[in-house]
Amino acid sequence: MNKKRHHWIVRVTHWVNFVAIVIMVGSGLRIFNAYPAFARKGEIFCCYPFEHKPIPAWLTFGRWLGGARHWHFAMMWVLVVNGLVYLAFVYLHGEWRDLVPRKGDIRDSWQMVKFYAFRRKDHPHQGKHNALQKTAYFLLPIAGALAVLTGIAIWKPVQLSWLTAMFGGYVWARYWHFIAMLAIVILSVVHVFMVFAVDPYSITSMITGNYDPSLSPEARNARPFYHLFPRRATVAPTPPPPETT
Amino acid sequence: MRIVRTGRSFVSINGMDRRDFLIRGGSLVSAAFLAACNSRGPKAADKLLKYAERKNISVERKLFRHTAIDVVQSGAHDAGNKLPSYYISPTVPVWDESVRGKWALEVSGLVANPLRLTLDDLQKLPQVSNRVNHYCVEGWTAVETWTGVPFSELARVVRADPQALYVDFQSFDDDYHESWDIESAMHKQTVVAYGLDGKMLEPAHGAPARVYSPVKLGYKNTKYLTKIVFLPQANGGYWTDMGYEWYGGV
Repeated sequence: MNKKRHHWIVRVTHWVNFVAIVIMVGSGLRIFNAYPAFARKGEIFCCYPFEHKPIPAWLTFGRWLGGARHWHFAMMWVLVVNGLVYLAFVYLHGEWRDLVPRKGDIRDSWQMVKFYAFRRKDHPHQGKHNALQKTAYFLLPIAGALAVLTGIAIWKPVQLSWLTAMFGGYVWARYWHFIAMLAIVILSVVHVFMVFAVDPYSITSMITGNYDPSLSPEARNARPFYHLFPRRATVAPTPPPPETT
Repeated sequence: MRIVRTGRSFVSINGMDRRDFLIRGGSLVSAAFLAACNSRGPKAADKLLKYAERKNISVERKLFRHTAIDVVQSGAHDAGNKLPSYYISPTVPVWDESVRGKWALEVSGLVANPLRLTLDDLQKLPQVSNRVNHYCVEGWTAVETWTGVPFSELARVVRADPQALYVDFQSFDDDYHESWDIESAMHKQTVVAYGLDGKMLEPAHGAPARVYSPVKLGYKNTKYLTKIVFLPQANGGYWTDMGYEWYGGV
């Protein structure tokens, strides 16, 4: 039986966000490659082990510094407006309840880790998202907000010097911008991996909005690459046929 | 699109089952990504990017405040000889007096009192020294002290017309020039600089004089100045015409 899982606003903002993040990260890395370091001229920077090592070109977007800057400064508006629409919707529609951290989340996250590590047999009971997922979806907008604020801080370090100063000055704001990008990339890569390895059925739900609860990871008792395909209906108490994965 | 529900939970879309859909969809997305890698982006986006740049300029000009000044962080070191030197000529541009005569800065355009100012003339005008950041388009910064005439002082002595909303800074480094909005030029940290770190400017950094302001990215700060022209309209610039942002403000 199909259930409505994602409102169309969530679905649209999700895919817009996907395009915006890919272009912002790619063009940002191209901009970074014009000076792949953080140190002020004549100084040494403490906290980046790869100073002056450029990011591989295939990970970048925009081809040249000027082109990447145009993409970055155009797409930033899409990212911000889209993010605000999403957050406003999640707030007004009450979906934030599925996403904000609660007291039992640490315990539940630990149970999920145990389950994924085969230290627990059954998938922990969950609401819309499991505890690890929930944490990731809660952290992503925070990393996004940090990326936007540090981005503004290095876009306008003189006109908005108070903001730049809040992040420790231009050099550090640029560093935090990089770290925020890394956090977004890590969360997104893990998210995409888990979608394919645990819940590929959620892709359809992020397109059509419909989801079949009997295919949920909890119903399939699914770990990464385990029980990807649903169990056959067991009407009679016959043992299930061998799974093919 | 025909969606058929078969049996208990298998969905087939146009004859594809879910597994096919995932595999085909996945390869399509990966192919799109590989094509996008290190690309310039679709040509069709150029118009949108131009539109975004125009909108960004108006946002940036609205954000601009004369009261916003650049402050060097405490503890920041001067770049000294680590300040990169660049020019577009094949070698360091040097003003050769034996060929070109005595260097003078022409200040003209929409002004009531056009002037030709020698280096001595410039040094007789009110002088300021600003220890400020240099913001390069590439992402690095460098702290230096620039000494020179505030641009606003020059605008006063030439009696710039209120119609002059733009200024073009031109040089003898090939045809390098960059035009600015007047408000950035009138910012109190914008100077026509002839000194760097307490010494006269050297050819490597734009001698005899260059414009210097922390409110603009490095490439907007024309070195090797020959002319300052007050204009009713913007006049692009060397890097601007190459495709960098015209505004280039920080």
